[in-house]
Amino acid sequence: MSAKPDVRVRSGPAGNGRTQRSTVARVGGVELTLTNLDKELYPGYGFTKARLLDYYRRISRSILPHLRDRALTLKRFPDGTGGPFFFEKRCPPARPGWVPIASVPRIGGESTTACLVNDLRTLIWVENLASIELHVPLARARSSHTPDAVVFDLDPGDGAGIADCCRVALIIREMLVRLRVSCWAKTSGMKGLHVLVPLNREGVTFERARDFSKAVALLVQRNHPELVTTLLAKPERTGKVFINWAQNSSTKTMVAVYSLRAREAPVVSFPATWSEVEDGADGRAKLTILHSDALRRVEKSGDLFSEVLARRQTLPIL
Amino acid sequence: MAAGKGRRSKSALSDRGRRGQGRSKRQGDQLPQKVTGKVRQTTETSPEVWRGTISFSLVAIPVRLVEAISPGRVSFHLLHRKDYSPLVSRMLCPNEGKIVPSEEIIRGYEYKPGKYIPVSAAELESVSPERSRTIEVTDFVSVGDVDSVYFDYQYYLVPMKGGEKPYRLLVEVLKRTAKAGVASLVLAEREYPVLIRSKDGLLAVNTLHYASEIVPPKGLADAETRGQGEAEKERMKQTIRKMVARFDPEKYADQRREKIVALLKRKIKGKSLVQAPEAEEVEGKAPSDLADLLETSMRKREKSA
Repeated sequence: MSAKPDVRVRSGPAGNGRTQRSTVARVGGVELTLTNLDKELYPGYGFTKARLLDYYRRISRSILPHLRDRALTLKRFPDGTGGPFFFEKRCPPARPGWVPIASVPRIGGESTTACLVNDLRTLIWVENLASIELHVPLARARSSHTPDAVVFDLDPGDGAGIADCCRVALIIREMLVRLRVSCWAKTSGMKGLHVLVPLNREGVTFERARDFSKAVALLVQRNHPELVTTLLAKPERTGKVFINWAQNSSTKTMVAVYSLRAREAPVVSFPATWSEVEDGADGRAKLTILHSDALRRVEKSGDLFSEVLARRQTLPIL
Repeated sequence: MAAGKGRRSKSALSDRGRRGQGRSKRQGDQLPQKVTGKVRQTTETSPEVWRGTISFSLVAIPVRLVEAISPGRVSFHLLHRKDYSPLVSRMLCPNEGKIVPSEEIIRGYEYKPGKYIPVSAAELESVSPERSRTIEVTDFVSVGDVDSVYFDYQYYLVPMKGGEKPYRLLVEVLKRTAKAGVASLVLAEREYPVLIRSKDGLLAVNTLHYASEIVPPKGLADAETRGQGEAEKERMKQTIRKMVARFDPEKYADQRREKIVALLKRKIKGKSLVQAPEAEEVEGKAPSDLADLLETSMRKREKSA
């Protein structure tokens, strides 16, 4: 049974006669005012803000454990993916009292108040701000110097593509298997791949994680100089895959698994099984996961990335 | 946010000051705090109106635009005398004697008494300027050349990360040369000519009136100067000289506001406060469950597509 939504129209903040449609929804025991549900967020794709909220509502069970207790960076697209965007590390001050927050130290000594997306209502509130993309650090806010995982951020340079990333991911995986650690891969939702080595234990610093990923990256580069670079300089990256080991830092954030990306189509950063990565390396799979694919797969198999939060591993000394 | 023009068109009923609008609707017990608040200084706490880049030639400076003026107006809500419920305004159709729902409201331009040209929101949008992320300076003019009649509303530009150095440089050079940049800025779907000046170590942005908006002074008063004796002129000069002072804006306080604030403070002390009944949902309809609501919104959209 669906009651007719209570839709109100109020004048926009400019008092310029432009109206903002708002609707009150009940979610998680609170009432939330949602705005501009009809607004087109992926131009030409028919993907409105209502669809955005619906995607995150339906993926919430899988995405929430990965956002939990992490200082969120909002990437907001007030006019959709075609318009300007801005990153917001600070939790917007005009927030309801029930939004969980944490004080996060920033470079320069000052601290920022960040949102923690720990429940559905906060997720929906954040998405109502048109934060199409959700970015989080590798560490939780309470233990901001202890990453839960080591990441290999694989970014193809000009002339390289997802297939090259898949090849590099398989090389990294093979090396890690020999070191007796397991790893999981997800698409970045853009052109790259993220390979994660879960740690989930205390005492591993970012420095240690960075040293490990750098050592592995340099080794891969030495063995496959035609395919891999660890140099940031753009010309060096042409035709190669850049392994960005520097992502293992308390000040860096990465797009969260299951987050939508702001491209022409609503593509998701989504877990990739190793057989998919193998198919990707051969060019048999494109590894472009649309929002609808993501929902279908999650509804069938649940959170495909749950091991990344659960598996406890120790980094070998390199 | 609107620059000058948007402000004036607001009706007395929604007269809550520009700032109140974007914020939470329910204010209830914030009165004492509001009343004691002095006129805010413009610092980082000033609300951001726009962000983008100011550019000319090879210079590009990332900046934020913040309010320079904070009207210290005391605003009132209209209440129902019987139970102190805050009142809302609704559009009434005199023909049907009924309240008109928003989806049935359109705009019309009255071109003859009683004759209207309907204009849709899409049509208005089609003639609105593109939103822009740059303030492109096209000319530099002497500050003194711009008559004060053109000045409408003022903002400050604050440098963003990476823009501090060129910003300082521009502030300094504009000050030394007594020049100001002329540019155009799109705010709230309107394009404004603006003047960028150096002011107290900051860049100030003044939105300007269009020349077509200025009422020509010609003919408003007799410009004849004949028949005035030198003695008369000399006497007036003397009088003025005696009254010469330094301009001190602090001297001109908004006395009505001060009196209202004092009155409110007295009333708070005397506890003459009233409370609105617990607000039920404004329109009396229960809010929908999130899933139902999104479903409805998406279905409606499919139908209209």
